[in-house]
Amino acid sequence: MMKRDIVYQVVLLAIIAGVAALIISATQTNLARLNVDSSIDFLWKRAGFEIGQKLIPYSADSTIAHAFIVALLNTLLLACTAIVCASFLGSIIGLARLSDNWLVARLAAVYIEIFRNIPSLLQIFFWYFVALRALPRTDESIEFFNCVFLNNRGLFLPAINPEQGWSWLAAALIFAWAAVYFLKKRERRQSPESGKTWTPGSWSLLIPAVIVSAGILLADVSVQTPQETRFGYSGGIVLMPEFLSLVVGLSMYNATYIGEIVRSGFTSIPRGQTEAADSLGLPRHLTIRLVLFPQALRVIIPPLTTVYLNLFKSTSLAAAIAYPEVVSVFVGTVNNLVGQPVFIMAMTMVVYVFISLCIALFLNWHNRKIALTVAS
Amino acid sequence: MVKITTCFSILIFLCLPAVDAGTLEEVRERGILRCGIVESSPGFSSIDDSGQRFGFDIDHCKTISAAVFGEIRIEYIPVTPHTAFTLLQSGGIDIFPDGATWSFVRDVALGLDYTGVYLYAGQGFLVRKDAGVSSVKDLDGATICIAQGTTLEQNIADYFDNHGMTYTPVTFADIDKGLQAYHADRCDAFTNERLSTAGRIINWPGRDEHVILDEVISKEPFGALVRQDDPRWRDIALWSFNVRFAAEELGISQENVDDVRKNSQNTETQRLLGVHGGFGEKLGLSNDWAYHIIKLVGNYADMWERNFTPLGLERGLNASWKEGGLHSALPFR
Repeated sequence: MMKRDIVYQVVLLAIIAGVAALIISATQTNLARLNVDSSIDFLWKRAGFEIGQKLIPYSADSTIAHAFIVALLNTLLLACTAIVCASFLGSIIGLARLSDNWLVARLAAVYIEIFRNIPSLLQIFFWYFVALRALPRTDESIEFFNCVFLNNRGLFLPAINPEQGWSWLAAALIFAWAAVYFLKKRERRQSPESGKTWTPGSWSLLIPAVIVSAGILLADVSVQTPQETRFGYSGGIVLMPEFLSLVVGLSMYNATYIGEIVRSGFTSIPRGQTEAADSLGLPRHLTIRLVLFPQALRVIIPPLTTVYLNLFKSTSLAAAIAYPEVVSVFVGTVNNLVGQPVFIMAMTMVVYVFISLCIALFLNWHNRKIALTVAS
Repeated sequence: MVKITTCFSILIFLCLPAVDAGTLEEVRERGILRCGIVESSPGFSSIDDSGQRFGFDIDHCKTISAAVFGEIRIEYIPVTPHTAFTLLQSGGIDIFPDGATWSFVRDVALGLDYTGVYLYAGQGFLVRKDAGVSSVKDLDGATICIAQGTTLEQNIADYFDNHGMTYTPVTFADIDKGLQAYHADRCDAFTNERLSTAGRIINWPGRDEHVILDEVISKEPFGALVRQDDPRWRDIALWSFNVRFAAEELGISQENVDDVRKNSQNTETQRLLGVHGGFGEKLGLSNDWAYHIIKLVGNYADMWERNFTPLGLERGLNASWKEGGLHSALPFR
């Protein structure tokens, strides 16, 4: 690098640092001059408000920091659910577009062109108010097996309550997973000799099943079904209509992008690969699973990262329809209570950046893992 | 939208130079009053067929403008409860008259000051008649739609906690979205300030199927807000608002103010209307400031009749103390 280039870069860096310092000091001076309280002590104060959906125990007596965690978990729950649903739906749409069946391929194309071109906020409003109007009132709930209820207050599911705590159940699940992992590994090692691909034998299903049952017995699991009360149902697990319509809205919108990415992944594979698999006599589903999919994945993952990041960030649209995620609770309610927008905005933004980077890191790591390794 | 405006107001914070000119001088020099209003709140802030703004909040803006300029010269700046405080702190608006509850934290921690109480409101509940709810205590276990932006969320948490009751909140950023959701039967009840709820549902189809409970779970004394760093400007706002109560007590209305000014022998009336005493000058205004307020806006009863009577709202606590209400004018002497 030339000396002059280095000088330019140092000067640029100095200018950026100078401007940043100026902004920070001006903000602090102005806040102080206006007697605006700018300490972060408020995080440890009593929140004093309720939150409609909480994955961990929370009450109005908890601290504001605690409310932040509750809201953040709601954001993550929404993001994870929507990412899984969008990926599933998107894969189907992408494969449908490649289908030899003309009608299926056209329908998939029409789906993509419609839902990709409507702003996702509008779609969320649409599903929300459609859902509220279309679902029955609580006294006319749709019932399944007398333990699942669907009405305009949400989807009510029975909850699993281990009387002895979650640790037994968690341990059982971890052991069962480990058992499956090792059984699979052993079977794989043997398959070149036996000539069989891995298929779960009866005993390799039995062992994890026994472990899980033992866990359930030890934890003394009871099932809590939703009970009808004066105002609808209570008890069990409740999925709010806000949550459901957000999952539908975000999934249907983002599935259009994922569908196109999946399609591009598959079309990027040279035709010779399919023909080679055909000439080996591989059945169609194995051709997709063993030959096409692993190769397509290399093309799919990088643009998929962008879609996942966008989806994660657009969960903040939930603030528009009363789903208590981090923007709604923190930038809305908490900011109104304590009136410190500068700090509250900054804190929320930092959290979004952090989680986005985590998603990107994970997918990049996965991408490197599956990348073609060329022998040198 | 809310986020954009909030970010914008933060930007103002960042760029604001540290100036300390008095607000009155600033407003005079600018030649126009910047008044922060919340849009589309029937009774408080609406737009008529000819595009003119009217409502209770709009009258507060006009009151200040009349006092400062002797005429209506206002730039209405639409704000949301999210952005109003920040915008006021940073000098984007001169006054925020929309019903903000006078509470300890708002007064002490935000760098803002209240200018007296102009409305005694209270948090109430809108419920369906067929729900069989006659009192707030019947709402144990109910799902309740709430709007952010005020002390509502804390009030309801406190009330249910104190009475050993539970509820599920569905918290909207926007009052109208919350009302729509309640209308679509998402919630058993909708809670907000009673007067504003009454104004918003007046044109609902099937309004008769709903009822606003008489009970209130909180006192919401509303006052206008100004910046804390300018006591002179606060005095102007406080005494301008007070003119309307004094005028009602002294029997001066928009209709008879010219007549009274010419003929009244009452000394307080004469001081108020600037016949003598030079009270306006002491505030840095002209001596006929109060006359302009009454002429252009009227007394408190005029404001009520113009804005709330068409919505079928009684004065109740907002009557003058002489009629059993809570409003009592500070004396002009």
